[in-house]
Amino acid sequence: TGGHTTEILRLLSCLSESYSPRHYIFADSDKMSEAKIRSFEQKRAETFSSSQFTLDRIPRSREVRQSWTSSVVTTLYSILYSLPLTYKLKPDLILCNGPGTCVPVCICARLLGLLGIKRTIIVYVESICRVETLSLSGKILYYFSDYFIVQWPDLKQKYPKSVYLGRIV
Amino acid sequence: FRFKDSLAEELGRADLVISHAGAGSCLEALEKGKPLIVVINEKLMDNHQLELAKQLHRDEHVLCCNCSTLVETLESMDLSTLKPFPPGQPEKFALFLDKVVGFQ
Repeated sequence: TGGHTTEILRLLSCLSESYSPRHYIFADSDKMSEAKIRSFEQKRAETFSSSQFTLDRIPRSREVRQSWTSSVVTTLYSILYSLPLTYKLKPDLILCNGPGTCVPVCICARLLGLLGIKRTIIVYVESICRVETLSLSGKILYYFSDYFIVQWPDLKQKYPKSVYLGRIV
Repeated sequence: FRFKDSLAEELGRADLVISHAGAGSCLEALEKGKPLIVVINEKLMDNHQLELAKQLHRDEHVLCCNCSTLVETLESMDLSTLKPFPPGQPEKFALFLDKVVGFQ
């Protein structure tokens, strides 16, 4: 969604073309991200002609301020929905930055890892808005990710296993 | 106007920006090097939005006020006290990621 998409595209801006093909996954209710992604990829294709990317939508795991009980149901549904997609893509690397949408995909990737089907590296970058506290996705993925990146020193203190590189977006 | 896809044009021409504490709005103004006054509405905001505004204020990149103190802030403000906001460095992320996945 919105701010998350802008942030993640900035993170991608300096990556080499070895990070290809890129598979973007976002919420079905998200109206604006597709345009931002296409515009980013279009610009990228001007420099790297062999650029490849795909877009996929999944049901949003949780709306802002959705109740706990219904969130569990919608998240489980999102996990089930994401499993065939994650299996098909078998990503080497998942890069995510905070929308609830990323949690089911990461959980699926871990499941596939446990089943010996594919070992994915999960890198989570907490939003620049998070100075003192983690987002809910962050709190969950702190335990599920391989690398957890925070952008403010306060969070590095509170979450010692995190990586602090300063502001990166 | 009520809503626009992008305020980039208006931001470019502005001498001063007065904004709510939304992260996107604040960062956009700061990245364009515009002096920024952040108006905080505690009733409307959920706590996490406040985090960034508070930090930016602590780092002296923005002036803060609330709706009732806005006029007073505008009258007494000294924008020269504001420090420039250095851009983020996604190159550091790229370097880190390259090491993680083994592209050196």
